[in-house]
Amino acid sequence: MRILIVMILLAVNVADAQVTVRKGFQKRFVAVNGFGGTALGAKLTEVVANDVRLSGCLGLAKADAAEFVQHGNVKADGGVECFVTHVVTKKMFLSKAYPGQADARRLAHAISDDIVQAITGQRGIAQTRIAFILKQGRNKELAVMDYDGANVRQYSNDRLCARPRWSPDGTRIVYTSYWQMFPDILEVNLQTGARQILARFPGLNTGAEYSPDGLRLAVTLSKDGNPELYTMGVDGTGLRRLTNTRGAESSPTWSPDGRQIAFVSDDRGSPQIYLINRDGGEPERLTVSPSYNTEPAWSRPPSGSEMRPMIAVTSRVGGKFQIGVLETVGAGQGVRPVLADGADNEDPSWAPNGRMLVFAKRRNWSSRLYLLDVVTGEQLELPAVGEGASEPAWGP
Amino acid sequence: MRSNVLTHTMILALVAALSLVGCKKKPPVGTAGTTGPGSVTPSSVGGVDVPGGVTIGGPGMRPDLTSADLEKRQFTPVYFDYDSAKIKPAEMAKLEVVAESLKGNSKNLIIEGHCDERGTAEYNRALGERRAQAALVELKRLGIDASRMSTISYGKERPADSTHGDTAWSRNRRCEFVALDR
Repeated sequence: MRILIVMILLAVNVADAQVTVRKGFQKRFVAVNGFGGTALGAKLTEVVANDVRLSGCLGLAKADAAEFVQHGNVKADGGVECFVTHVVTKKMFLSKAYPGQADARRLAHAISDDIVQAITGQRGIAQTRIAFILKQGRNKELAVMDYDGANVRQYSNDRLCARPRWSPDGTRIVYTSYWQMFPDILEVNLQTGARQILARFPGLNTGAEYSPDGLRLAVTLSKDGNPELYTMGVDGTGLRRLTNTRGAESSPTWSPDGRQIAFVSDDRGSPQIYLINRDGGEPERLTVSPSYNTEPAWSRPPSGSEMRPMIAVTSRVGGKFQIGVLETVGAGQGVRPVLADGADNEDPSWAPNGRMLVFAKRRNWSSRLYLLDVVTGEQLELPAVGEGASEPAWGP
Repeated sequence: MRSNVLTHTMILALVAALSLVGCKKKPPVGTAGTTGPGSVTPSSVGGVDVPGGVTIGGPGMRPDLTSADLEKRQFTPVYFDYDSAKIKPAEMAKLEVVAESLKGNSKNLIIEGHCDERGTAEYNRALGERRAQAALVELKRLGIDASRMSTISYGKERPADSTHGDTAWSRNRRCEFVALDR
């Protein structure tokens, strides 16, 4: 395990170089031949090739430079077949038939995840979704899209919304809304579109994130004075105060086991990351430098993954936001930068694989969403959505 | 405190009004199927359910507000130093004017806290709230009952000056005040 961590560090440090890392972390290259010349075949080819490009663990290559080659076809009855073969050993890694379905993009994403699973043994991200804040003129609304930027759907008409977070089962999103001018915490059911208020105390109601078991929310409220950290049941009952400081606490994120919460506090000066037990107690300071660390996001890699839980943060260095990670959670450790390219990069949120991040990149005061592979340091731009997109949250 | 029924009706009216404004030029609501990258399908955005027991009162019970109310800022903003929620001595006179205007009437006061764009969104939201509360504490000391005052933090979302640089930033680190005739 220790060797693995060192390898992550190496990969991260030399993001521009060709990184040689252990198998499983290394990008594997696939020649995507596609699914034939029909309209459906062409659509599947386009989406699967893009999925491979965005997968992080796989890359696209020409046949002579690929480790794997993909073939596929659309049958007369509309069904689809997909095969993946190792170029050198000729071993068949994937041979699967799919019944035809009307939604070509959805079928393509399912095929892409099977390709990732067959080659890497890991669950892919092609069937995941990303919630984000969509800019429309002066307004900012809650929206959800497929992870590749398709199927954007707007879920609010509140004029100002912020910080969406997914329920662990992917059926609901909690977010901050100024629908009644004051910041409230609302929850939207993605299936029905129904929304309900979870917190509308006097002052600030924001920062909600579901616990990993989906039963509680960590939130920031200012009803008792300056902004403090609380937890509450998802039904709005059982409010419990965790912090009591003279500074402001914000941006809570749960540990994967649900026992601890990392958050931002400026109680001792500049904003830094702290850790507290889910039932309260004395907060432990995690970061001391750089002088500005905010927006912690704790990853939850699946069991059996070579990735381990990490906390991504947005640091400010030289007046620019950059994304860094805390690889182990303990007092006084440094933040390792994983993305410092001169643009403002912020709002990191982990994919369920614990390896990819989605984040917002601001250039010339306009914001777009990107994916980042924290192992290779590779950035992948998502299609532009409206006038601007920010505060992404990767769904389960 | 208003009755729940009244509050609920107003909420529905507000959401309905916003929906109308927001949806004018968009394709029909709830269209199924897939769209490629770039286009936005508005989901059917309904009203918000206000379950009983979630509406919470207490000190500083907030009044019903519309965006039109917030256009009516009557006072000079109070400005702050970078990353600070401390009321500067030079800004105190502005708060005295606000306090004076609230004496002898029963108006409620909305105190908005704002930040410059250099912080991250949620941290700025917390900082803006601290600025609004710092103003509230001073106004209380000047004799205004806390139950008449409510705070709203907008973080960096509503700059007074939307240009970028030191001048704009110093104008945006501020508290704004709205006195309501109710």
